[in-house]
Amino acid sequence: MSENVLRIGIGGPVGSGKTALTEALVPRLLAAGRHPAVITNDIYTQEDAQHVRRELAGILDPDRVVGVETGACPHTAVRDDPTMNLAAGAEMLERHPEVDTLLYESGGDNLTLTFSPSLADVFVFVLDTSEGEKMPRKRGPGITESDILVINKIDIAQYVRTDLGVMESDAHRVRDGKPVILTNSLTGVGVDALQDQVLALWNARPTALSR
Amino acid sequence: MTATPVHDLLVSLQLSDSAFPSGFYTMSHGLEGYRQAGAVTTDGVENLLSGVLIHSVGPGDATALARAHEAVLAEDWPRVQLVDQMLFASKLNAEMRRASVRSGHQLTDIAAETIGGPELARWRRDVHDKSTPGCQPVATAVAYAASGVGQEQAVASDMSAFAVSFLGAALRLRLLDHRQVQVVLHGIGSVIEEATRAAVHRDLEDLGGCAPMADVMSAQHERAEARLFAS
Repeated sequence: MSENVLRIGIGGPVGSGKTALTEALVPRLLAAGRHPAVITNDIYTQEDAQHVRRELAGILDPDRVVGVETGACPHTAVRDDPTMNLAAGAEMLERHPEVDTLLYESGGDNLTLTFSPSLADVFVFVLDTSEGEKMPRKRGPGITESDILVINKIDIAQYVRTDLGVMESDAHRVRDGKPVILTNSLTGVGVDALQDQVLALWNARPTALSR
Repeated sequence: MTATPVHDLLVSLQLSDSAFPSGFYTMSHGLEGYRQAGAVTTDGVENLLSGVLIHSVGPGDATALARAHEAVLAEDWPRVQLVDQMLFASKLNAEMRRASVRSGHQLTDIAAETIGGPELARWRRDVHDKSTPGCQPVATAVAYAASGVGQEQAVASDMSAFAVSFLGAALRLRLLDHRQVQVVLHGIGSVIEEATRAAVHRDLEDLGGCAPMADVMSAQHERAEARLFAS
């Protein structure tokens, strides 16, 4: 795949807000002058792809959103054997050569899900406050290895007995200071900061710096 | 390079390994369609697999693999493309064509990097140029031929890979448990042998299976509201 295509991998447990985050990022990427497309790995239905198309109607051409079935193996599809995702990405770029940003949304899985570097240039892992304050302390490669950890649904932390300060500082500690961003994907809080962080990592990649 | 039985075995083991990144784990090869239609139960999986091997995979993918393998060895690239195009045309269902081509393209890239050589370089060019669809069995044939593995072993290995993939889907669809999968896989060996023999001897003109019920199940599967598998 072209070195000039930014591939963002978005992983995380079921219901953490990956789709909402994808839907919040797309308009911002467009505003930043980028041309995004979305590939969702909903493990069972075309629901996620349809949801994204509906939410982005008028903003993103529906043909720029595709769903890829993963045979009940969401982590295999983005890590051990990302070939079907790579194929879907290549087909998308063929149909829409102007696309320069691919967002891969994985199917919901557990804390061990990671994106292969052959599939994603920037790996974002999405947790949410309702999963529990202790979640960062449980570690798991998704939490510790991701380029950016997002803690979503900050607006309901108080209702699910989650101390946001504890969750955030634990996350920084187990990630050795790598980026942690707090968001409310539905209202957009934190999403600008997330985009800035993604683009900063992308612009700091070795091939970009060598130009 | 002189091929030895151990060398050939290792190539077969690698290319037919369920961990080989061919995307096979995303395919149920029609089984999910049957499951959704209520047309298969635990007791019927072995029989269904047997039928698919004899009437669909054997006359289709396996025959194409055999014919493409010998065409590669003869350096008859127009014939390799002809086999690929005929196989593509013989797949009635869109999801089957799409799955085969996606897998074939990825397998081509990985095999070119892993095994290398002029045959895979030539095939890879043809696939990327879109002079040929790039179906998985033909890509596999090129990989085996380039490795020096013989035709019959190549056909049997790929058919085994298919069976493993089919049964893996049965496991995830809760049709079989992990022990039943192994029992069925071991038992299907004689069917693979028979279907391999038939594929190796089948003329290219006779390529293409006849499994109308499987085609119907696959067609329904394409329109299913919910799917675990791409095919």
